Amino acid sequence: MSRPVERPRGGLWRTEIVRAVLNGHSVLGIAFAAAIYIVCLSGTLSVFVRDFERWEQPVAPTFRVASDAAIGRAVAEMGNRAGANRNFYVLLPSDDFPRLLLSSGNDAAGEAWYADANGHLTTRAKSPWTDFLVDLHTRLHLPQTLGRFLVGLTGVALLSSLISGILAHPRIFRDAFHLRLGGSRRLEQADLHNRLGVWPLPFHVIVSLTGALLGLSTVIVGILALLVFRGDSQQVYALLAPPPAREDARPVPMPDVAGLIAMARERAPGAQLRQIEVSHWSRADMRLELSASRPRLIAQQDSITFDAAGRIVAEKRPAGLTVGERILGALGQLHFGWFGGSAVRIAYGLLGLALCVVTASGITIWLARRRDKGRAAPAWERLWAAICWGQPVAMATTVALALLVHGRMPDGTLVTVWAAVTLLSAIIASALASRSAADLARVGRCATGLLLLGAAGMHAAISMRGATDLGGFAVDGAIVMIAIVLLRSICPRRLIPAPNR
Amino acid sequence: MTLVLASALLVGAGIVGSGFLRRAWLDRERERTDFRLAGWGIFVGALIASAVLIGPMLGLALALTLLPVGGLLVVAHGATRREARAPRRAQLAPEPLEGRSRAWRGWLKALLAGPLGMLAAMGLAFCYASWAPGAIQTRLLIAALLVPALWGLAMTWTLADQRLVRATTVLGGTTIIGFALAFLGGVA
Repeated sequence: MSRPVERPRGGLWRTEIVRAVLNGHSVLGIAFAAAIYIVCLSGTLSVFVRDFERWEQPVAPTFRVASDAAIGRAVAEMGNRAGANRNFYVLLPSDDFPRLLLSSGNDAAGEAWYADANGHLTTRAKSPWTDFLVDLHTRLHLPQTLGRFLVGLTGVALLSSLISGILAHPRIFRDAFHLRLGGSRRLEQADLHNRLGVWPLPFHVIVSLTGALLGLSTVIVGILALLVFRGDSQQVYALLAPPPAREDARPVPMPDVAGLIAMARERAPGAQLRQIEVSHWSRADMRLELSASRPRLIAQQDSITFDAAGRIVAEKRPAGLTVGERILGALGQLHFGWFGGSAVRIAYGLLGLALCVVTASGITIWLARRRDKGRAAPAWERLWAAICWGQPVAMATTVALALLVHGRMPDGTLVTVWAAVTLLSAIIASALASRSAADLARVGRCATGLLLLGAAGMHAAISMRGATDLGGFAVDGAIVMIAIVLLRSICPRRLIPAPNR
Repeated sequence: MTLVLASALLVGAGIVGSGFLRRAWLDRERERTDFRLAGWGIFVGALIASAVLIGPMLGLALALTLLPVGGLLVVAHGATRREARAPRRAQLAPEPLEGRSRAWRGWLKALLAGPLGMLAAMGLAFCYASWAPGAIQTRLLIAALLVPALWGLAMTWTLADQRLVRATTVLGGTTIIGFALAFLGGVA
């Protein structure tokens, strides 16, 4: 049976609809591209947050299993350090993160410690670059509410771009395998944009939808509370989580945590304890919640809560959870790729990079289209190159700086340096009118590659002296590989004629 | 270890499935229904097998992440390199509509796609949370997921639609009706 050359298109993919949607797609891309790019790039790196924490601090107690007695001792020590009015959580060692981490928050008054295998808090946990990265991704280093809202809005814009991108793509199946590199710039970028946008579409939709929801949650809850609870947001949260214990600040002796952990294990055979959350340690209204995961589940769905007398006050099992509670538990895991071990983290890293390329190539196509029509915008081309390659340079600079002055820099140094490099790259791009965007991109790739090589070398040299966690060397290896790829990409490409099909 | 094996199998299924689809779609002489069925069959089979063998949510999430990686590997394997040359218009995507734009239309579209789109999405989502059956946690979470999804759709539509009065009326009406119904229904 012979295939018709070109069927007349109807329905959603009529030419005038495609062109109108493409117009909206372009407008949205131009308005949000820089924000989407920064959020996607920092998000791609955020998938490896736990690896970076290990990498930044290679000298810390490292073990895969902690005894109940050691966990109990660590909780008691942290409770005494944090004080009665601060909540803290305990992350238990696992294959992906073989450390016992206790943290009472990231704000100025909070502190985090690594405990040894006996449960003694021995090493202050410090990962300034990882904290910088997470703050960049979750709130763009802006005040909490505004930053999270803008990131959520960026997620919605990305989601909308995905919808309009599909609607504006009438040859979605016919072109599914076309990747023509080295021909016309616009065709090459369009092929990259479409292939990397369409194949990983489920991933793109999942991360943009969950990211938008995580970012907008405060606004959604606030408006819902205004509508039905006279502005009391706590009443909305109370529908999703059990209410906190009634305030009772009397000091009381604390229960034996190791015993409570043993009891929790007994009550949930097959579940693996992952996390403990403690509120109001040493007070009569103390609550200790233990969460556990199971092999076939995406998120922790077993939880048991004890009070100060060691009584069970709440208990949840997977079978008893509503669909909503399951979705709530899975949002973070799905967004950051923390559900299937290192294979999924690597896949999320690659697909996240694909999303960065989709964003970058979208604007490049728009600029190339202008150039084809004789309306070239060289200043915008240079500025876009400065954003695309200025961000990796800015991040690589902060990595190198964090390693150089680890633990000895004032708060906010990395943010200032990142903002300065971002601004400087834009100013340089605007000023260098004699250089093309391609030149600037090459300089950016070269600078990023060299900075990354320097950072990996510096880290390896520092870690040689007494590193207890060798996992950081794998990160060094990955950084060196990325640096080599970037430096090699500066060399001119060898072109092979396309075979005749 | 099981997850590593499952991940490798899923990437492999992605490669084989997209390999069949590639052969079907690149054959310009014949309709290759057999290859097309085999390709889609492998994708659907891998999704179902993952959900059954690994777990409904975990398996589907794994498959939706790793199958496309296999597809992209096939795309990358089939990439062709060419000498640089001027673009051929026939190969390019359709052009966006272009016309003289007025500033007030731009601002109005931004208002429609931004704040009004968000409120309309919230109106519908809160309406769902108030009136849909099921546990309150489920209704709230689905409503919360509906907000960005509906807002994204509203953004797509308003930016593409040239008739601003229509978009304003629909979004404004949806907001008022959605919030009114949600207020009447309450959430508890």
